[in-house]
Amino acid sequence: MMSLLILRIAAILYAGAAAGFITFFAKPRWKRAAAWGDSLLLAAFVVHAVAIGFGCREYGGMEFLTLRGGFLMLAWLVSGAFLLVQRVYPVPSVGAFATPLVVVTLLPTLFGPPNAPPQPPERLRHGLLSGHIFVAVLGVAIFALAFGVALMYLLQEREVKGKRFGALFSRLPSLSQLDTLEQRLVRIGFVVFTIALVLGSLLANQAWGHFWQWDPKQIFSLVSWLLYGALVQLRRSGLHGRRYALLSMVGFAIIITSFVGLGLVPVGKHGRDYGLNRPAQGETAGRSAQ
Amino acid sequence: MSTRELYLVGLSHKSAPIAVREKVSLSGDDLKDALAALKARDGVAEAMVVSTCNRMEAYVLGDSIEPARRIFLDRSGDAAGHLYEAAGPEAVRHLFRVSSSLDSMVLGEQQILGQVKEAYGVASSVQAAGGFISRLCNRAFATAKRVRTETDIGRGASSVSQVAVELVEKIFDDLKGRAILLVGAGKMGALSAKALASLGADRILVTNRSPERALSLAEQVGGSARPWAELPQLLVQADVVIVSTGAPTYVVDPALVHPAMKARKHRSLCFIDLAVPRNVDPALSQLDDVYAYDMDDLQKVVHQTKSARAEEAIRAEAIVEAEVMAFSAERETRAALPVLSQLRRQAEEIARAEAQRTLAAIGEKLDDRGRRSVEAMARAIVNKLLHAPTARLKQAASNGDSLLPGVAAELFGIDGAQGPEQAAPRAATAGAAPPAPGALPDNVVSLSESK
Repeated sequence: MMSLLILRIAAILYAGAAAGFITFFAKPRWKRAAAWGDSLLLAAFVVHAVAIGFGCREYGGMEFLTLRGGFLMLAWLVSGAFLLVQRVYPVPSVGAFATPLVVVTLLPTLFGPPNAPPQPPERLRHGLLSGHIFVAVLGVAIFALAFGVALMYLLQEREVKGKRFGALFSRLPSLSQLDTLEQRLVRIGFVVFTIALVLGSLLANQAWGHFWQWDPKQIFSLVSWLLYGALVQLRRSGLHGRRYALLSMVGFAIIITSFVGLGLVPVGKHGRDYGLNRPAQGETAGRSAQ
Repeated sequence: MSTRELYLVGLSHKSAPIAVREKVSLSGDDLKDALAALKARDGVAEAMVVSTCNRMEAYVLGDSIEPARRIFLDRSGDAAGHLYEAAGPEAVRHLFRVSSSLDSMVLGEQQILGQVKEAYGVASSVQAAGGFISRLCNRAFATAKRVRTETDIGRGASSVSQVAVELVEKIFDDLKGRAILLVGAGKMGALSAKALASLGADRILVTNRSPERALSLAEQVGGSARPWAELPQLLVQADVVIVSTGAPTYVVDPALVHPAMKARKHRSLCFIDLAVPRNVDPALSQLDDVYAYDMDDLQKVVHQTKSARAEEAIRAEAIVEAEVMAFSAERETRAALPVLSQLRRQAEEIARAEAQRTLAAIGEKLDDRGRRSVEAMARAIVNKLLHAPTARLKQAASNGDSLLPGVAAELFGIDGAQGPEQAAPRAATAGAAPPAPGALPDNVVSLSESK
């Protein structure tokens, strides 16, 4: 239960970071609020990592095979990705969007450890499965950030275009900055997601004997992969602005559907057929996250 | 009894036309010479001159306002009717307001603080500014900083070109690697193009129905002239289009821009229409990734900024007021301080000596706690006894009463022989020759003190 306690501490730190970034967003003169937010987020990220470490010791890493574990990992990776973005391309007002996202993602994980962590069959218990899960969640985390940035783009575009030069107008970064950041996130996310898909199909081959089966999760993943791939390609040929932002939001909608939706609704064999769940426990309890 | 006081004489855009301002304005070595001359005058202890294109003000710490006035009247007799004057806290308040940009032509503009800092630097460099002006200016700078950080007086764009710059910044961030297109030869257009060029635009393209006008305008803004017929292609190259022709109709409409957007692959395109009647069809806003603004939009922002700043100015004035009071209070306490600190030192000395004597006599009969009690009692008596005189002296000082500190010094037998830092008030050394102005230690010069 140690991991849960530490996780709750991390959640408090995340909430503090969110408060800092939101304060900065509301009062842009208080640059210190953003600095505080950043430090708290870093602290939260580290504490969260410790919690994950303890969790791995307590449950042998099996918790990440559940939806709760997926959220746990997703929140950690989103904050990590955001921290990284802050260092490479600092736009602190993005924090007001990213950190609340982390808090919301983490929320469902705070109320208890996984009940009966699932056990994958012996033949899948190796690095490939952990690798697949980690890389896939990392991809989702990066696309989640891209989604947040796209949302900011659309909000700012509405201000700029509608000649509403109000609070949002002055606080949100410029369209060009958001567009560039969006493009970078989509590109990196696409690379990561590709790796996850390759690892996933290798796993599928081991589990089912085929690289591809018409499993809903596989289909959704492929569709979003194609969409993001198209986005990367379209950007090369010059697609900018509003459409780009909208498309990347659609992409994330598909991904999050497959991440959460298919994790709750018992369709397809992804996860279930690995023997991750005992059928008696009900299909919905603890399906694989990704 | 003469009083040394801070005097201000000045004229500004509010009181004098530019014809008068330019006659009296001083800069460079002239300013240094004038300051040195001013400082050398009888009865001038310290001086500083703030000279910008919108104002010229002389601040003098001295016996009378006359030397400050002379610096204007000696340069131009015309100035006489345009001067404003202030003394004491009024003059302090004025400097604080000027530094905080509350007296500027454009409320909340940023340059004035730098200009006052420069004025102080010049005054220090010729030794015209001493301890008083140094403290005064530091307080003024601190006030300006407070105003800037605690209010929103500096926020927003305060001119049409600035609004255009701000808008373009929100779309493109900067204009590195991008091009500005100037359509038409309106004066506002050229101004805005120059303002926008400060965002780092790669090139400025200029087009006009008359090729000659285009050429001369291109020269003026540092751009290159293009034939009018190329307008559709130019819309593909440029990112910001400033339109200000004299045409009575729309020069740019969706039919023209739509193909350009396709060719641009929907890279953002921003139109700024400075013409009245409008030259850019407002329907352009309906196209994706096209941003179009007309004069009304820009003016609206300017007015918003102005009224927002005017509102912030009320808060800024309160800050200035508090700082003026704090400055005065601080100075007055400074004036009363020498007597107070000596009085206290003397009393504490006596208390310590008496406690020591008592302890020497009966100390061995007491334990540690008892010894400490004796010392504490001696200190307590000193504090209780001095409490009322201290309060009274401070109050007298802040009321500008310079008599009481002297009387107190006399009464308690404090003399001024303890080194320059604790120079006794002059009343205590009555009969001795008054020190020369300017030779006074900083901490005894007050806004109004007798010599």
